[in-house]
Amino acid sequence: MLKDILALVFTTTTFAATFRLACPILYGAMGGCFNNTSGCVNIAYEAVMLYSCFFSVVGSYLTGNPWIGMLFGILIGLVIASIFGLMAFVFNANTMITGIALNSSAWAVTTLMMVIIFGVRGSVYDERIVSFKPIHFKFLEKIPILNDVLNDNVILVYIAFSLVAVAYVVMYHTPFGLRIRGVGQNAQAAYTAGVDVTKYRWISLLLMGAFTAISGTSLTLSGISMFSENMTAGKGFLCMCSITIGKGNPLKILFVALLFAFSQALVLVLGTLSIPTQIISMIPYVAVILVLFGNGLKSFKGTADIEG
Amino acid sequence: MKNKIFSFKVKKMSRSLSQNDRFMINLFKYGTSILLFLLSGSLLILMQGQNPLVAAQAIFKGAFGSKMAFGNTLRWTAPCIMTGAAAIVAFKAGVNNLGIAGQVTIGGFAAGIIGAFLNLPPVLHVLLIILVAGLFGIVWSIVPAVLRLFFNINEFITTLMLNYIADFLTQYLVQQILAGGLDSWGYVNMNATPTINESAVLPTLIPGTSATLAVPIAFFIAFAIAYLYKYTIQGYELKQVDENLKFAKAGGVRVVQRFIVIFLLSGLIAGMCGGIEVIGTYKKFNCNFAANMGWDGISIARIAELNPVGLVFVSFIWAALKAGAMQMERVIEVNRLTVQIVQYLFVLFVSIDYEGIYMRAKDRRMKKQYQKEHQKEAEERA
Repeated sequence: MLKDILALVFTTTTFAATFRLACPILYGAMGGCFNNTSGCVNIAYEAVMLYSCFFSVVGSYLTGNPWIGMLFGILIGLVIASIFGLMAFVFNANTMITGIALNSSAWAVTTLMMVIIFGVRGSVYDERIVSFKPIHFKFLEKIPILNDVLNDNVILVYIAFSLVAVAYVVMYHTPFGLRIRGVGQNAQAAYTAGVDVTKYRWISLLLMGAFTAISGTSLTLSGISMFSENMTAGKGFLCMCSITIGKGNPLKILFVALLFAFSQALVLVLGTLSIPTQIISMIPYVAVILVLFGNGLKSFKGTADIEG
Repeated sequence: MKNKIFSFKVKKMSRSLSQNDRFMINLFKYGTSILLFLLSGSLLILMQGQNPLVAAQAIFKGAFGSKMAFGNTLRWTAPCIMTGAAAIVAFKAGVNNLGIAGQVTIGGFAAGIIGAFLNLPPVLHVLLIILVAGLFGIVWSIVPAVLRLFFNINEFITTLMLNYIADFLTQYLVQQILAGGLDSWGYVNMNATPTINESAVLPTLIPGTSATLAVPIAFFIAFAIAYLYKYTIQGYELKQVDENLKFAKAGGVRVVQRFIVIFLLSGLIAGMCGGIEVIGTYKKFNCNFAANMGWDGISIARIAELNPVGLVFVSFIWAALKAGAMQMERVIEVNRLTVQIVQYLFVLFVSIDYEGIYMRAKDRRMKKQYQKEHQKEAEERA
């Protein structure tokens, strides 16, 4: 039994699935790391992702073009982020409760819209919903393992991984990143130094909205071409967790996201064995707690204490 | 300017306000929110091609129209109050317990098992179930508490993840262990535990309705929390932990102990809520029965501004809307999700910082008045 499991875990299929599944987490995390670094507690990832899932499907359904679908998704992501910003920055509402309200209503709103637009409940499947096409690289064919792992994915996956490098450069080697970090560390000092704090907070929030929306698109339009009720099921929270654990550093986030994607890949791969599905489905969520635990071991002092 | 930029990082300080100001702010706050709430609700119903007034009538009829409808409202009030109370205990002391749904699920599962597989005398059985359900809720909140205290891991992620784990764990136990795995077609043949014994059923409060003894229990819990925070030293210390941790430490409050107490109390109430829901309403443990309960509780607690007395009223209205939504869907062709959307829109409207807006407006008014008087004086002198 254990031998079977290990044999399945370390195959190219698992790594290929990891590579593919890291994509939605990475988009949300790369957009969100700026938002997190600018010092804003935001848990509305789930809402943005779910809305964008739905509107990507609608866009693709109407036009037959996945890029237009993605555009629809990004637009709705920006709208949701703006609502969040309006509540948090203009009306000074509690960011946690704003996030909770957005997350909880996202399920109801998308389901209601599904009933109104498509006339069904449960899930939408239609031939007019077009996904992105997989890209085939000729030069990878000759390399044995990499071919199985990297080849034949949709374009969004490749963009996601190149985005990590871009985000790293922007975060640590541009004035923009410096200002975002400054605003997060000490808003008052940044303000004194002449940085427009409100502006940078808004920019980082809109970045989060746009990129988390793309991760919603990549959930629906990367092959399966369907939308089902509450289909994100905690993936937005995984984005948020990887940002928190990676402390806003894109490279660390990449590492954490790969770990979460690997645990999700295990769900797919181990499903073929006779292990109960419910136990396997738990793996990603347990992985989050275990990673947090491993990360927290550093600050273990042997006694219980709270730091305010 | 300074206030506007930094205020969302700085905790809201209780400014010294006169009684009149306080009243005006509350009037402004709830007046505006309810107005926006009605407006957005009407708009959503109009978009579905129905008359908002008819819909409102249907909701009212579904919530208070008959004895049965009123019983339904009371039935939904109980879990709203209890999850709200669990949220109040946690949030009032600065603990972000987002895992109420998970604690409710685990408590409900424990209740379902004990109710179905144990034979005990009636009253004892119910009491035992409520107690054990609470204990299971506590067990589910110990993990985040330990991680927070010993490893400084923020509890809001761990509690969130434990929600999903609780869901899958109970599904596994119900579908695989109790139901004996998949049938020959590969389908799960059961999604709930067996029906509980007669002796474990919580008696009804009003005969012929679905309101059970859960309602007085919920009221008692809300009352107990109000008492704890208002009249006891322990409650005062709990509040201090949130308001100023350093001050509390310097003042000799055993912060760590208090922190654990908060976690466990919140878990206890949530677990009890799950148990009472199962033995009171469903008579068996259904998987995913707690889907939205945790978020509802937190939202209600926030609307009530973490005030146990306000909690009771808000829960009642929330429950009335919930009960009325079903009736509305039956009578006219408006989806009942509309009500849920409007409920959460209301949460958004209420969480706006009206106090700040009011104070700014007041400052401006006073400045203008001062300028006017100044001008008048200058004219008189001239």
